[in-house]
Amino acid sequence: MSEDIHALSGAYAVDALDDVERARFERHLAGCPACRAEVDGLVAAASELSVLTEAAPPASLRAKVLAEIATVRPLPPLTAPQAESGDDAVTSAPPAPSQPAAEAAPAESHGDQGRHADELSERRRSRSARGLARGWRVVVAAATVAVLAMGGFTVWRQIDKDPSRALADQVLAAPDATRYGARLAGGATATIVRSTSLQKAVIVTSGMAQPPTGKVFQLWLQDATGHMTSAGLMPGGGDQVVVLSGDASHSKGAGITVEPAGGSDQPTTNPIAFVAFA
Amino acid sequence: MDPMSRFSVVPSGDESPEGATRPVPLEQLLRRAATGDETAFAELYDAVSSRLFGLVRRVVRDPAQSEEVTQEVFLEIWRHSARFDPSKGAALAWMLTIAHRKAVDRVRSAEASRNRDEGYGASNQDVTHDSTAEAVVERLDAERVHRALETLTPVQRQALELAYLSGYTHTEVATMLDLPLGTAKTRIRDGLIRLRDTLGVTL
Repeated sequence: MSEDIHALSGAYAVDALDDVERARFERHLAGCPACRAEVDGLVAAASELSVLTEAAPPASLRAKVLAEIATVRPLPPLTAPQAESGDDAVTSAPPAPSQPAAEAAPAESHGDQGRHADELSERRRSRSARGLARGWRVVVAAATVAVLAMGGFTVWRQIDKDPSRALADQVLAAPDATRYGARLAGGATATIVRSTSLQKAVIVTSGMAQPPTGKVFQLWLQDATGHMTSAGLMPGGGDQVVVLSGDASHSKGAGITVEPAGGSDQPTTNPIAFVAFA
Repeated sequence: MDPMSRFSVVPSGDESPEGATRPVPLEQLLRRAATGDETAFAELYDAVSSRLFGLVRRVVRDPAQSEEVTQEVFLEIWRHSARFDPSKGAALAWMLTIAHRKAVDRVRSAEASRNRDEGYGASNQDVTHDSTAEAVVERLDAERVHRALETLTPVQRQALELAYLSGYTHTEVATMLDLPLGTAKTRIRDGLIRLRDTLGVTL
């Protein structure tokens, strides 16, 4: 890739990258101990700035927080104790998608999430009426409500080493890479990056929820006739970077639906997100 | 106007090197929280809530949303307490990272539907100083950060403020400061490096 990706360390440390840049940089970070060390130091430096903005929260917040945590069990430690501490992140390849999944699940039981889900399903109903044909519009369903997954763990997050990683990196860095997407309600985002020269599309999500129990997220590519072809399943939860299977060079759009476990041959529900390759 | 001059000097809650205000290290409170110790978590809340809420409010600006985000932040800290890795940095920095990311996510997603409340600036002055020795130490902490910021170039300071405290992306920062595309990230990095070196930040 042409640009110097190391130079993104500062912007990464202060969350000043967009989702696609962040995904790219985190992939780089997995194999660059120098950047990891630098990021840790820059994060520490940035955090010093918060001494300048200190402000006591309303007294009522304390009781709310303590009442809420009493209803949620802390997550267990990661089973590989050193898995997040750098060195091994370069070489070891545990299938990491399970981590965000494990993280997000318990959050769905607490009340706050329920409230957001309600708001969102309401929003979805009003939006579905307007249909999918609206090009860049991304329709949001309850299932995409942002759960409390991975949000602040940018620096320490274990990097996913799935086999498609190199391909995803190539697509994200391709000279003809074009982005399509939108911010979703609840803080979740989905960006689809397509490179026609590589004939591939990659989806980058941030803050996505888990699919409902017994369901999966399925990706689709839409051809010129409107026909949807499955582009594989994707994990929910946290931040994901997934290569859509199939040739995306002639596709007219891409979407995500919620499908029964194992996926479907054709979409059986309205997409929770859809972008047109305008 | 120099953006950093908008900051009020306010007490810091818990990071005085003397440890006078922090009888139990945050790392230890986190470890206890990881076992489900709600009392330890309450203590942790008392130690860091002003730092976390203040940062969230600076980024998010809307008071009600700031409170909501702060609550989410604490829940996430609670849930992930067993996964804090001291080798990556201090507990406070870890918690602030969580708070910052959530705050940034919130303002960016909120922009799809409405503009950010711009009327916040002047109201960030409401933390008063008291005259206890503790507050003096804390004020010195803030002054130390102010002095470190003065070693940055104005552009570095502005870029850092817009990114860290206002939650803009480096691309947006470049446009706002009329910098050539791609140079804002360099300014942010250079500024952070100087801040790190001036403050003598250690992990």
